[in-house]
Amino acid sequence: MPRVFCLWRAYSGLGLSVAGDADKTEKQGTKSSGMDKRLRNALRGLTASDPDSRRRAMEPFVRLTFGMFIRHLHRYLGNEVECEDVLEDVYADIWENPSHLRDVENERHLLRTVYLYYMRKRLREVYRRMNRSLYLSQKDMQNLVAPELGLCELMSQAELKQVLHRMLGKLKARERKAIELWMQGMSNRGIANELKTTVGAVKMLEFRTILKLRKMLQEYTEED
Amino acid sequence: MPNVNREIQELLADYAVALRDGCLPAFLKSLTREEARCIHESEEFWEATEVVRLMNSAGFGDKVVTPDVGLFISRVDAGIASRLKKGKTSTRSRNRSHASM
Repeated sequence: MPRVFCLWRAYSGLGLSVAGDADKTEKQGTKSSGMDKRLRNALRGLTASDPDSRRRAMEPFVRLTFGMFIRHLHRYLGNEVECEDVLEDVYADIWENPSHLRDVENERHLLRTVYLYYMRKRLREVYRRMNRSLYLSQKDMQNLVAPELGLCELMSQAELKQVLHRMLGKLKARERKAIELWMQGMSNRGIANELKTTVGAVKMLEFRTILKLRKMLQEYTEED
Repeated sequence: MPNVNREIQELLADYAVALRDGCLPAFLKSLTREEARCIHESEEFWEATEVVRLMNSAGFGDKVVTPDVGLFISRVDAGIASRLKKGKTSTRSRNRSHASM
Protein backbone atom coordinates (compact mmCIF):
# COMPACT_ATOMS: atom_id res chain seq x y z
CA MET A 1 0.00 0.00 0.00
CA PRO A 2 1.17 3.53 -0.55
CA ARG A 3 3.10 4.77 2.42
CA VAL A 4 3.79 8.23 3.67
CA PHE A 5 7.40 9.11 3.00
CA CYS A 6 7.45 12.72 2.16
CA LEU A 7 5.04 14.34 4.56
CA TRP A 8 7.68 16.01 6.63
CA ARG A 9 8.80 17.85 3.52
CA ALA A 10 5.47 19.63 3.51
CA TYR A 11 6.54 21.47 6.61
CA SER A 12 10.05 22.19 5.53
CA GLY A 13 9.14 25.75 4.62
CA LEU A 14 11.53 25.71 1.70
CA GLY A 15 9.05 27.68 -0.37
CA LEU A 16 9.78 25.75 -3.53
CA SER A 17 7.89 27.10 -6.48
CA VAL A 18 4.38 25.92 -7.17
CA ALA A 19 2.78 25.93 -10.56
CA GLY A 20 0.47 28.47 -12.13
CA ASP A 21 0.03 32.10 -11.16
CA ALA A 22 1.62 31.53 -7.78
CA ASP A 23 4.78 30.63 -9.64
CA LYS A 24 4.94 34.03 -11.34
CA THR A 25 4.23 35.99 -8.22
CA GLU A 26 6.57 34.05 -6.00
CA LYS A 27 9.42 36.49 -6.34
CA GLN A 28 7.14 39.48 -5.85
CA GLY A 29 6.01 38.90 -2.34
CA THR A 30 7.24 35.80 -0.53
CA LYS A 31 7.99 36.13 3.13
CA SER A 32 10.40 34.02 5.08
CA SER A 33 7.66 31.41 5.60
CA GLY A 34 7.56 30.84 1.82
CA MET A 35 4.03 32.00 1.10
CA ASP A 36 3.03 34.53 -1.52
CA LYS A 37 1.69 37.74 0.01
CA ARG A 38 -1.42 37.77 -2.16
CA LEU A 39 -2.11 34.14 -1.35
CA ARG A 40 -1.73 34.89 2.35
CA ASN A 41 -4.27 37.74 2.04
CA ALA A 42 -6.67 35.55 0.07
CA LEU A 43 -6.40 32.86 2.73
CA ARG A 44 -7.12 35.43 5.43
CA GLY A 45 -10.28 36.45 3.56
CA LEU A 46 -11.25 32.81 3.03
CA THR A 47 -11.12 32.00 6.70
CA ALA A 48 -13.37 34.94 7.67
CA SER A 49 -16.59 34.07 9.47
CA ASP A 50 -18.82 36.00 7.07
CA PRO A 51 -19.81 33.86 4.02
CA ASP A 52 -19.92 36.89 1.71
CA SER A 53 -16.36 37.91 2.59
CA ARG A 54 -15.31 34.33 1.93
CA ARG A 55 -17.07 34.44 -1.43
CA ARG A 56 -15.23 37.63 -2.36
CA ALA A 57 -11.90 36.14 -1.32
CA MET A 58 -12.51 33.09 -3.50
CA GLU A 59 -11.60 34.80 -6.79
CA PRO A 60 -8.01 35.72 -5.89
CA PHE A 61 -7.60 32.39 -4.13
CA VAL A 62 -8.69 30.47 -7.23
CA ARG A 63 -6.45 32.58 -9.48
CA LEU A 64 -3.43 31.90 -7.29
CA THR A 65 -3.99 28.21 -6.66
CA PHE A 66 -5.78 26.86 -9.74
CA GLY A 67 -2.62 25.79 -11.55
CA MET A 68 -1.13 24.09 -8.51
CA PHE A 69 -4.34 22.26 -7.59
CA ILE A 70 -5.31 21.12 -11.07
CA ARG A 71 -1.84 19.73 -11.74
CA HIS A 72 -2.02 17.83 -8.49
CA LEU A 73 -5.43 16.40 -9.34
CA HIS A 74 -4.18 15.41 -12.77
CA ARG A 75 -1.83 12.95 -11.08
CA TYR A 76 -4.79 10.91 -9.90
CA LEU A 77 -7.32 11.31 -12.71
CA GLY A 78 -5.31 12.08 -15.84
CA ASN A 79 -8.36 13.76 -17.32
CA GLU A 80 -8.69 17.51 -17.51
CA VAL A 81 -12.49 17.63 -17.57
CA GLU A 82 -12.81 15.44 -14.50
CA CYS A 83 -10.09 17.46 -12.76
CA GLU A 84 -12.05 20.68 -13.32
CA ASP A 85 -15.29 19.13 -12.07
CA VAL A 86 -13.59 17.86 -8.92
CA LEU A 87 -11.80 21.15 -8.36
CA GLU A 88 -15.04 23.10 -8.68
CA ASP A 89 -16.49 21.11 -5.79
CA VAL A 90 -13.25 21.39 -3.85
CA TYR A 91 -13.35 25.20 -3.97
CA ALA A 92 -17.02 25.25 -2.96
CA ASP A 93 -16.19 22.91 -0.04
CA ILE A 94 -13.37 25.24 0.98
CA TRP A 95 -15.78 28.17 0.92
CA GLU A 96 -18.27 26.25 3.01
CA ASN A 97 -15.82 24.98 5.59
CA PRO A 98 -12.42 26.68 5.45
CA SER A 99 -11.42 25.82 9.03
CA HIS A 100 -8.61 23.46 7.96
CA LEU A 101 -6.85 26.32 6.15
CA ARG A 102 -6.51 28.51 9.21
CA ASP A 103 -2.98 27.52 10.19
CA VAL A 104 -1.46 27.03 6.75
CA GLU A 105 2.16 28.15 6.79
CA ASN A 106 3.39 27.76 3.23
CA GLU A 107 2.30 26.61 -0.20
CA ARG A 108 3.26 23.00 0.33
CA HIS A 109 1.38 22.93 3.57
CA LEU A 110 -1.59 24.42 1.70
CA LEU A 111 -1.45 21.74 -0.99
CA ARG A 112 -1.16 19.00 1.60
CA THR A 113 -4.09 20.35 3.63
CA VAL A 114 -6.30 20.84 0.58
CA TYR A 115 -5.48 17.35 -0.70
CA LEU A 116 -6.08 15.58 2.59
CA TYR A 117 -9.18 17.47 3.74
CA TYR A 118 -10.94 18.48 0.53
CA MET A 119 -9.61 16.79 -2.63
CA ARG A 120 -9.50 13.23 -1.35
CA LYS A 121 -13.13 13.32 -0.32
CA ARG A 122 -14.15 14.46 -3.80
CA LEU A 123 -11.76 12.12 -5.59
CA ARG A 124 -13.32 9.17 -3.77
CA GLU A 125 -16.69 10.14 -5.18
CA VAL A 126 -15.58 10.36 -8.82
CA TYR A 127 -15.95 6.68 -9.63
CA ARG A 128 -18.03 5.63 -6.61
CA ARG A 129 -21.18 5.06 -8.63
CA MET A 130 -19.27 3.08 -11.22
CA ASN A 131 -17.74 0.94 -8.50
CA ARG A 132 -21.02 -0.96 -8.02
CA SER A 133 -20.40 -2.83 -11.24
CA LEU A 134 -16.67 -3.36 -10.76
CA TYR A 135 -14.70 -6.19 -9.25
CA LEU A 136 -12.27 -3.85 -7.52
CA SER A 137 -13.14 -3.38 -3.85
CA GLN A 138 -14.13 0.07 -2.61
CA LYS A 139 -10.91 0.31 -0.61
CA ASP A 140 -8.70 -0.61 -3.57
CA MET A 141 -10.59 1.85 -5.72
CA GLN A 142 -9.92 4.57 -3.16
CA ASN A 143 -6.26 3.64 -3.02
CA LEU A 144 -6.05 3.91 -6.77
CA VAL A 145 -7.94 7.18 -7.25
CA ALA A 146 -7.53 8.95 -3.91
CA PRO A 147 -4.48 7.46 -2.18
CA GLU A 148 -2.74 8.70 0.91
CA LEU A 149 0.06 11.11 0.17
CA GLY A 150 2.94 8.96 -0.95
CA LEU A 151 6.42 9.27 -2.31
CA CYS A 152 7.27 12.86 -3.28
CA GLU A 153 3.62 13.65 -4.01
CA LEU A 154 3.93 17.21 -2.76
CA MET A 155 6.89 18.03 -4.96
CA SER A 156 6.39 20.87 -7.40
CA GLN A 157 6.30 20.06 -11.09
CA ALA A 158 9.74 21.56 -11.65
CA GLU A 159 11.38 19.72 -8.77
CA LEU A 160 9.74 16.47 -9.77
CA LYS A 161 11.03 16.75 -13.31
CA GLN A 162 14.50 17.50 -12.03
CA VAL A 163 14.51 14.53 -9.65
CA LEU A 164 13.10 12.12 -12.23
CA HIS A 165 15.64 13.31 -14.78
CA ARG A 166 18.43 12.60 -12.31
CA MET A 167 17.00 9.15 -11.50
CA LEU A 168 16.59 8.27 -15.17
CA GLY A 169 20.26 9.05 -15.66
CA LYS A 170 21.13 6.27 -13.24
CA LEU A 171 19.19 3.61 -15.15
CA LYS A 172 20.51 1.26 -17.82
CA ALA A 173 20.18 2.62 -21.37
CA ARG A 174 17.35 0.24 -22.30
CA GLU A 175 15.38 0.95 -19.13
CA ARG A 176 15.82 4.68 -19.55
CA LYS A 177 14.72 4.57 -23.16
CA ALA A 178 11.54 2.61 -22.32
CA ILE A 179 10.54 5.13 -19.64
CA GLU A 180 11.47 8.17 -21.71
CA LEU A 181 9.45 6.92 -24.68
CA TRP A 182 6.51 6.21 -22.40
CA MET A 183 6.74 9.72 -21.00
CA GLN A 184 6.73 11.09 -24.53
CA GLY A 185 3.32 9.49 -25.00
CA MET A 186 4.36 6.45 -27.05
CA SER A 187 2.28 3.26 -26.90
CA ASN A 188 3.76 0.01 -25.59
CA ARG A 189 3.70 -1.40 -29.11
CA GLY A 190 5.62 1.63 -30.35
CA ILE A 191 8.17 1.20 -27.56
CA ALA A 192 8.46 -2.50 -28.40
CA ASN A 193 9.17 -1.65 -32.05
CA GLU A 194 11.72 0.91 -30.99
CA LEU A 195 13.48 -1.52 -28.65
CA LYS A 196 13.05 -4.41 -31.11
CA THR A 197 11.25 -6.62 -28.63
CA THR A 198 7.73 -7.79 -27.77
CA VAL A 199 4.97 -5.82 -26.04
CA GLY A 200 5.02 -8.31 -23.16
CA ALA A 201 8.75 -7.78 -22.66
CA VAL A 202 8.24 -4.01 -22.68
CA LYS A 203 5.55 -4.24 -20.01
CA MET A 204 7.83 -6.34 -17.84
CA LEU A 205 10.74 -3.95 -18.44
CA GLU A 206 8.57 -0.98 -17.50
CA PHE A 207 7.30 -2.70 -14.36
CA ARG A 208 10.80 -3.60 -13.14
CA THR A 209 12.15 -0.16 -14.03
CA ILE A 210 9.31 1.63 -12.25
CA LEU A 211 10.00 -0.40 -9.10
CA LYS A 212 13.68 0.44 -9.45
CA LEU A 213 12.80 4.14 -9.79
CA ARG A 214 10.65 3.91 -6.70
CA LYS A 215 13.53 2.51 -4.70
CA MET A 216 15.74 5.35 -5.92
CA LEU A 217 13.10 7.96 -5.06
CA GLN A 218 12.69 6.43 -1.63
CA GLU A 219 16.43 6.66 -1.03
CA TYR A 220 16.42 10.24 -2.31
CA THR A 221 13.67 11.31 0.09
CA GLU A 222 15.33 9.54 3.00
CA GLU A 223 18.68 11.19 2.22
CA ASP A 224 17.05 14.59 1.92
CA MET B 1 -7.83 -4.62 -23.51
CA PRO B 2 -8.85 -8.02 -24.80
CA ASN B 3 -6.56 -10.15 -22.55
CA VAL B 4 -8.24 -12.20 -19.86
CA ASN B 5 -6.50 -12.37 -16.49
CA ARG B 6 -3.53 -10.18 -17.21
CA GLU B 7 -0.41 -10.51 -15.11
CA ILE B 8 0.56 -7.80 -12.66
CA GLN B 9 3.07 -6.09 -14.97
CA GLU B 10 0.44 -5.99 -17.71
CA LEU B 11 -2.09 -4.54 -15.30
CA LEU B 12 0.35 -1.85 -14.27
CA ALA B 13 1.17 -1.02 -17.89
CA ASP B 14 -2.53 -0.77 -18.72
CA TYR B 15 -3.18 1.38 -15.63
CA ALA B 16 -0.31 3.67 -16.62
CA VAL B 17 -1.60 4.06 -20.18
CA ALA B 18 -5.16 4.66 -18.93
CA LEU B 19 -3.97 7.34 -16.50
CA ARG B 20 -1.81 8.97 -19.15
CA ASP B 21 -4.63 8.98 -21.70
CA GLY B 22 -7.26 10.11 -19.18
CA CYS B 23 -9.42 7.00 -19.48
CA LEU B 24 -9.18 5.38 -16.06
CA PRO B 25 -12.82 4.19 -16.16
CA ALA B 26 -12.01 2.01 -19.17
CA PHE B 27 -9.20 0.36 -17.22
CA LEU B 28 -11.38 -0.10 -14.14
CA LYS B 29 -14.17 -1.66 -16.19
CA SER B 30 -11.74 -4.00 -17.93
CA LEU B 31 -10.67 -5.67 -14.67
CA THR B 32 -11.85 -9.23 -14.13
CA ARG B 33 -12.52 -10.65 -10.66
CA GLU B 34 -9.20 -12.50 -10.78
CA GLU B 35 -7.29 -9.38 -11.83
CA ALA B 36 -8.92 -7.32 -9.08
CA ARG B 37 -7.80 -9.95 -6.57
CA CYS B 38 -4.31 -9.94 -8.07
CA ILE B 39 -4.11 -6.14 -7.70
CA HIS B 40 -5.39 -6.30 -4.14
CA GLU B 41 -2.69 -8.78 -3.15
CA SER B 42 0.25 -7.23 -4.96
CA GLU B 43 2.27 -4.79 -2.89
CA GLU B 44 4.51 -4.13 -5.90
CA PHE B 45 1.54 -2.92 -7.91
CA TRP B 46 0.62 -0.31 -5.30
CA GLU B 47 4.23 0.80 -4.97
CA ALA B 48 4.54 1.14 -8.72
CA THR B 49 1.33 3.19 -9.02
CA GLU B 50 2.95 5.91 -6.89
CA VAL B 51 5.76 6.27 -9.43
CA VAL B 52 3.36 6.05 -12.37
CA ARG B 53 1.44 9.02 -10.98
CA LEU B 54 4.66 10.98 -10.60
CA MET B 55 5.78 10.09 -14.13
CA ASN B 56 2.38 11.07 -15.46
CA SER B 57 2.60 14.37 -13.64
CA ALA B 58 6.14 15.13 -14.77
CA GLY B 59 5.46 14.13 -18.36
CA PHE B 60 1.97 15.50 -18.93
CA GLY B 61 1.04 17.74 -15.99
CA ASP B 62 1.96 20.91 -17.84
CA LYS B 63 -0.64 20.27 -20.51
CA VAL B 64 -3.61 20.51 -18.19
CA VAL B 65 -3.83 24.21 -17.44
CA THR B 66 -7.10 25.69 -18.61
CA PRO B 67 -6.48 28.98 -20.44
CA ASP B 68 -9.59 30.72 -19.11
CA VAL B 69 -9.41 30.71 -15.32
CA GLY B 70 -12.04 33.50 -15.30
CA LEU B 71 -14.62 31.12 -16.72
CA PHE B 72 -13.72 28.54 -14.12
CA ILE B 73 -14.07 31.15 -11.36
CA SER B 74 -17.60 31.91 -12.51
CA ARG B 75 -18.39 28.19 -12.27
CA VAL B 76 -17.05 28.12 -8.72
CA ASP B 77 -19.06 31.23 -7.86
CA ALA B 78 -22.22 29.71 -9.31
CA GLY B 79 -21.61 26.62 -7.16
CA ILE B 80 -21.22 28.79 -4.07
CA ALA B 81 -24.37 30.76 -4.94
CA SER B 82 -26.30 27.53 -5.29
CA ARG B 83 -25.07 26.31 -1.89
CA LEU B 84 -25.99 29.67 -0.34
CA LYS B 85 -29.47 29.40 -1.84
CA LYS B 86 -29.82 25.83 -0.63
CA GLY B 87 -28.73 26.88 2.86
CA LYS B 88 -31.28 29.69 2.95
CA THR B 89 -34.07 27.44 1.68
CA SER B 90 -33.34 24.77 4.25
CA THR B 91 -33.29 27.37 7.08
CA ARG B 92 -36.60 28.82 5.86
CA SER B 93 -38.24 25.43 5.65
CA ARG B 94 -36.90 24.56 9.10
CA ASN B 95 -38.34 27.81 10.48
CA ARG B 96 -41.66 27.14 8.78
CA SER B 97 -41.86 23.66 10.27
CA HIS B 98 -41.07 25.11 13.72
CA ALA B 99 -43.80 27.75 13.26
CA SER B 100 -46.40 25.17 12.29
CA MET B 101 -45.75 23.25 15.49
